[in-house]
Amino acid sequence: MAKVKIATDWLDACAGCHMSLLDIDERIVELVKHVEFTSSPITDLKHPPKEGVDVGILTGAVGTTHQEEVAKRMRERAKILIAVGDCAVFGGICTMRNFFDKEEVLRRGYIETESTDAEGKVPRSEELGKPLDRVKAVNEVVKVDIHIPGCPPPAKALWYALTELLQGRIPVLTGDLLTYE
Amino acid sequence: MATVNITINGQKVLAKAGQTVLEAALDAGVDIPRLCHHPAVRPYGACRVCLVEITGQRTLQPACTFPVSEGMEVFTETPKVVEARRFVLHLLFSERNHYCMYCQMSGDCELQALAYRYGLDYWKYPRPFTPLPVDASRTYFVMDHNRCILCRRCVRACGELVGNYTLGVRQRGANTMICADMNVPFGESTCLSCGTCLQVCPTGALMDRHSAYRGLEKDVERVKSVCAACSVGCGVELVVRQGHLLRIEGDWNAPVNKGLLCELGRFKPLFEGRNRVRTPLVRRDGALKEATWDEALDAAAKGLKAGGAAVALASPRATNEALNAFVRTFGRLGARLGSLTPVPEFLAKPEGSLAALDEADLYVVVGVDLGKEFQVAGFAVRRGVTNRGARLVLLGDGKSDLARFARYRLDVSQVNEAVALAQGAENPVVVYGAGAGEVLPRLRAALEGKARFVGLVPGTNSRGALSLGLNGARPDGAKAAFILAADDQVDEGLLTALAGVRFLAVQASYFGPLVERADVVLPAATWAEKAGTLVNTEGRVQDLRPAAAAPAGVKTDEEILTALAARLG
Repeated sequence: MAKVKIATDWLDACAGCHMSLLDIDERIVELVKHVEFTSSPITDLKHPPKEGVDVGILTGAVGTTHQEEVAKRMRERAKILIAVGDCAVFGGICTMRNFFDKEEVLRRGYIETESTDAEGKVPRSEELGKPLDRVKAVNEVVKVDIHIPGCPPPAKALWYALTELLQGRIPVLTGDLLTYE
Repeated sequence: MATVNITINGQKVLAKAGQTVLEAALDAGVDIPRLCHHPAVRPYGACRVCLVEITGQRTLQPACTFPVSEGMEVFTETPKVVEARRFVLHLLFSERNHYCMYCQMSGDCELQALAYRYGLDYWKYPRPFTPLPVDASRTYFVMDHNRCILCRRCVRACGELVGNYTLGVRQRGANTMICADMNVPFGESTCLSCGTCLQVCPTGALMDRHSAYRGLEKDVERVKSVCAACSVGCGVELVVRQGHLLRIEGDWNAPVNKGLLCELGRFKPLFEGRNRVRTPLVRRDGALKEATWDEALDAAAKGLKAGGAAVALASPRATNEALNAFVRTFGRLGARLGSLTPVPEFLAKPEGSLAALDEADLYVVVGVDLGKEFQVAGFAVRRGVTNRGARLVLLGDGKSDLARFARYRLDVSQVNEAVALAQGAENPVVVYGAGAGEVLPRLRAALEGKARFVGLVPGTNSRGALSLGLNGARPDGAKAAFILAADDQVDEGLLTALAGVRFLAVQASYFGPLVERADVVLPAATWAEKAGTLVNTEGRVQDLRPAAAAPAGVKTDEEILTALAARLG
């Protein structure tokens, strides 16, 4: 049987959710017998292949136009999209800026921080994604098939979800696999 | 009692007539989720998570307010019910800020627990991200409106239980906010800082400053004990983690207070400003120096025996067991014995039950400020006035915080008017304290057989002290003195009266003017660290249980007194 293809990517994220994925430890050896990790932010190949993958994993919230594109690309290329972590599922801690005006947040972040000298300026290069007015959960941008909340989700929840999918079942998180913290 | 036959999820249940579906289900061991419901306050039906299916009812019904009736069929977890509950939870999460990962209640939150129970792995509706204020104007706890689900448990606790009606709601719909009085900061409101709202809040909206982030329910132990702030003797639950006292909560099952506590009982012990005495101290060359227990006990015994004309005084915060050891130890020495708090003759015997306060239609309060002392008894008066329409007659105390609840504020010279009002009432109760000496005989003569009298004795365990013959005394004329101060604070008068004393030994938990004046200091355990019994003003004997760990080098009152007795011979 061909290996199941999995691609991961991150949006407005701290990398903690990817760490949690690595925290499945030696079980990852078992996992790669059955799956192929095509791409991830922590491997050489960053982008999900054009020919598509079976499972796409997104961590982090959607805070910029760039992240919106990344989320849409993953959706297009993945049969099943999993939102992993509180930021991807709910918006999480990134939404803290939603309580403020966007320009005020940029000014505070790039100009007024205590460690910024007089040269501080807001990066506005055309090559950069533009901050959205409001940080969103992934499911506010694209359709999400499976949600795994947690900050980060426990490794056993990710292991459970992936092994359930490998056996052709849609995972339903219960007990201590479902956590918001 | 009349019973009603119902079925819950097909199981036959014998419910009591007049029960709600929720009460009957809980009695039968069926857990129906709820958020706005709290057993100490009246059913409210606000949150809608207790919705159940009842055969014959057109729509789902809230179990918390729906009364049982003969033959009723209730279903608590049908797909329709579960779908409705999930919908309600999605709505609750779509309001305000319910991100768990930076909330101190995460793990103990009732809203979060329900979201887990019903498998909410995402939120269906977008959130408005309206920034709401955090009110930190109160000393002991913080109100974060962002975490509030508007269940109104706090509002009902403040009104129904404490009778104070500080809390309410303003605005309507999505703009609804909990507020104090006419929307003033909580710290500037009529709030009494009793913390009852804090104890009933289901989410992280009310946050205790002392215990926040210091341990979840799974990390802590709860020890049932009794409050030592006054002679009401409220039942408490001491919440401790590895010997540290995190929080004091009212014991809902305690007969005296039924879960309520006042600021003095709930918060003051956690915000103790005095420094702890951690080792025995002996005065050498004019200054107090650290000493071993043997040195300090030897010095205390020597000083007390050599001084002649000794006096020994005990704080009424001491337990019966400590007072017993105290009497045994110093009785043998022939010392004059007494307590630090004088109790007038008319308060020497317990009179009345605090439960009478919840039945009265008229209160005559005399010689005691229920706004400052015996506050939990004051709560009963407040709720009597505000919830049952009872009338309050304040006799001779116009400055009390209770004054705004008083229908009549009379001078002691107007005692006849108070008598006339009581005569005209169905169920008058006279509440008196140590300051009532002047008018109490007249009230008693006029209202004997008509009114019930409830006496509030000063000093936590004065009843225990009196039963051992200990009443207020001063060290006048003594050459040597021993003072069992425990964790009490002493007044200026005592310090003045100690002027002529040549040798002073003090058993105390905290530094203060008394310790500074002492020749020997024996460090003692505090109220939360020791076992024993206390007698409340009604004569109720209640257990004090050790919860917090005493610092190394500190002993209990009994241990100290027994060791001292051995040396006094």
